[in-house]
Amino acid sequence: MYAFETNQLTKKYGHHTVVNKVDLNVTQGHIFGFLGKNGAGKSTLINMVTGIIKPTSGEFKILGSSEITHEKVKRRIGVLPDYSKFYDELTGIEHLKYFAGILGMSKSTSDLIKLLELVELGDAMKIKTKKYSFGMKKKLGIAQTLINDPELIFLDEPTSGVDANAVLNIHSLIKNVAADGKTIFLTSHNLDEVEKLCDEIAIMDKGVIRAQGSMNQLRREYQSQLTVKIKHSPYPEKQKPELLQIFNKVGRDVHLGEENITIVIEEESDIPVINKALISAEIDVYRIEVDEPSLEDIFLDLDSSQ
Amino acid sequence: MFAICLREFKSLFKSIRSIFIIIIILGVTVGSAKMLSNFGNELQELGLEDAYMTGLFIILMLAGPLFVTSLSHDVINGEIHSRTMRFLVTKMSRDKIVIGKFLGVSLFWFVCILASLILVVPFAKTFYFAEFAESFIFITYFVALSLFLSTVISKPGLSMFIGIVLSITIPVLGTIGIFRDDLILIRVFSFITPYYYIGQEQTMYVYFIPILSLGFLLASVMILRKRDF
Repeated sequence: MYAFETNQLTKKYGHHTVVNKVDLNVTQGHIFGFLGKNGAGKSTLINMVTGIIKPTSGEFKILGSSEITHEKVKRRIGVLPDYSKFYDELTGIEHLKYFAGILGMSKSTSDLIKLLELVELGDAMKIKTKKYSFGMKKKLGIAQTLINDPELIFLDEPTSGVDANAVLNIHSLIKNVAADGKTIFLTSHNLDEVEKLCDEIAIMDKGVIRAQGSMNQLRREYQSQLTVKIKHSPYPEKQKPELLQIFNKVGRDVHLGEENITIVIEEESDIPVINKALISAEIDVYRIEVDEPSLEDIFLDLDSSQ
Repeated sequence: MFAICLREFKSLFKSIRSIFIIIIILGVTVGSAKMLSNFGNELQELGLEDAYMTGLFIILMLAGPLFVTSLSHDVINGEIHSRTMRFLVTKMSRDKIVIGKFLGVSLFWFVCILASLILVVPFAKTFYFAEFAESFIFITYFVALSLFLSTVISKPGLSMFIGIVLSITIPVLGTIGIFRDDLILIRVFSFITPYYYIGQEQTMYVYFIPILSLGFLLASVMILRKRDF
């Protein structure tokens, strides 16, 4: 079951195509990471499926409904748009009361205070938002997405411009919300953030989805190589050519140091071969580390393959 | 929709500009009523019992359009410009945003006109229900026009400028159109202004004005449905 899906979704401004025939399926209950450089079309896609802008062509379904203009659908989603701005003359708590009113909900003040405390704005709830920092506005933006206890939450760059402590708090909040079975669609520039939080990832570039899947699927598809780092006891110099010969057969980019070996291999099954070669050469192995490709590696690989 | 209406209504009372306008309207209405109360017997003999409304009537006819425009020129495009519209459209239908804003601004003027007429009661010893309805209908035309301009024009500065130009042009051309049958273009233009209908001898013509207001409101709804924010 998909929380939302797009079919050939396209947005054009004049002759410029910002989002080009995008097919995307976001599984219910997942944290979906949407990656891409500035201008890739991430925000445009979110804006289309949340009703902020109209698609030029294509279709999409949100929580099974193809009609985002219906208030019934709007009440089941939460949206943090990019560049969130608020009413300068209203305080944090007044904003939440206003948004709850717009959604036709009667939330008690204590419920709204709890929501502000959840995003660490409890102390600032009676301060007008014109005095809020950028990070505080982001937090208020996140709080307003949660007013209606939505099933699907769109967060456009929720941690950009937010201090390090607050980022950790937002990450933990996202995890907690997702643990309740809600679907979160998250766009970010921060590759680490997406890698840590998301069950599924899509990478967009120039309006097109370049890759989509779980982290493991992306690794298999785009960056299957593993970097093996071995710490060992010193060995006689005369053994080096023999070891090099074995390791070059197994992998590539072999580096033989006095007490460290680094080899890039394609398959996990190559690791025992390396280990056996060291044992037969009577070299003691102290530690074997295997580095899997990061999202950054995949992102850079995709970027360089264009 | 109620939340938007209420916020629009409340925010209009908070600005210095609106307080200034309220003071002018109430001051002129009460001042003229007080002055005319000195000639109470004479007015009654001449059958001009509703003369106590004169002050309010004149201020609304001459400056009403300008007052409405200056307060509500950015009722829609202000939200688009500041990007707060993005929060609204993800939470409620665009139609309700337009209607909620229209109702909120109209409610502000309803209260202002009502307060003015209540203040006239001690002098006139009566409440002018029909005149109240006519004044409110007249002013809602300009509320709907401001809303329309604010939807069509994306820049608040430009909608204010065009609003001010129309606030001067409409009363002038609308009034000329009542009296000059020979100026065809102006006459035709006056049909889409409330002045033509207010100027007719039969007061029931006034009740055509809401059709024009409704036209502006529907046009705003249709335009906003297609807009990107």
